[in-house]
Amino acid sequence: MKLSAVQADAIQELGNIGAAHAATTLSQMLSSSVSMSVPAIKSIDLAELGNHIGDESAAMVVFELQGEIQHGGYIIFYITRESAIRLTNTMLGMTDTDRELNEMDQSALLEVGNIMVSAFLDATAELLGFIMLPSPPALSIDMAHAAMESLIAQLGEEVDEVLLFSTELICEEHKIDSDIIMLPELSTLKRITELLEAMMNGT
Amino acid sequence: MADQSSPTLQPAMIGIGEYRVGSFPIMTIGLGSCIGLTLYDSQKKTGAMVHIMLPDSGGRTDRSGKYADTAIPLILSELEKLGSGKCSLIAKMAGGACMFEYFGTNLNIGERNTEKVRAILKEQGIKLSAEDVGGKVGRTVTFLPANGGKISIRRADGVTSEL
Repeated sequence: MKLSAVQADAIQELGNIGAAHAATTLSQMLSSSVSMSVPAIKSIDLAELGNHIGDESAAMVVFELQGEIQHGGYIIFYITRESAIRLTNTMLGMTDTDRELNEMDQSALLEVGNIMVSAFLDATAELLGFIMLPSPPALSIDMAHAAMESLIAQLGEEVDEVLLFSTELICEEHKIDSDIIMLPELSTLKRITELLEAMMNGT
Repeated sequence: MADQSSPTLQPAMIGIGEYRVGSFPIMTIGLGSCIGLTLYDSQKKTGAMVHIMLPDSGGRTDRSGKYADTAIPLILSELEKLGSGKCSLIAKMAGGACMFEYFGTNLNIGERNTEKVRAILKEQGIKLSAEDVGGKVGRTVTFLPANGGKISIRRADGVTSEL
């Protein structure tokens, strides 16, 4: 699906609102300020996925989009391994950065992801009047490309291209760099763009 | 092209659903539930690698490299063009992981990919000489046809192994 310039703008604004709410919750959890990038919309051919997401080690907290649409795609809290350690260190009052991510880190990451993604989806639901609910989370701490291609494989055999909406959330004070990435399934994407267009036309 | 047997040669990268044929190193990064399948002709020291994403094409004819049922005939015919018949080829594969336990319970694509590749190789009479599949682990794979058809596998924690 090709997005028109107007649709891309509208989705960018939607991402902006969702990510701003997620950034607020992250800022509260860290008691520190969090800045966010302009949301990026990337249309990626599957063969090119490796040019966008590499095999670096990262933590990904993944939620399936549910609610009014079943199997609506995925929303992901993405954080590099180094940032993940600094994030849980900050939350749990620890300082050792040269360590493995243990069970306590994993539950902390799941919890952070849950709170941020819920805030994101609450905000978009309020704007769109279209409810997307997060599934229980799944966590992968491994190669980012491996996790992402596994999610895309589940979207179906006819998918040759995906749209990724990502917004970077950065906490300068604790050197934490993370992203919220939305990977909508085609019918979800269509529904969202229709609702946004209807809003802009005032119907 | 420069000396193709040089181990320091920059590998050719393939993405999801892509393949390459030759005697130069071929690499694909971050295999999750996908499969990196190689076919190697030890006499010619040449081979092919394909990055398979799903078991069945469901009759689709484009992106043949993406599906196990179309990818294997595709690389077989490409190798045949170079004079490598089925009986001189041996196969190796890596990948087929289940990266997310929660989402994987009802739809384990990694496992289905692995089984499909094994079944088609058997059907085609091609020997599967080695594999590193399954688990909850990503794999970056480099195929070295000039080096005995060796496959080098790197995991996220930096641990490397060879097939």
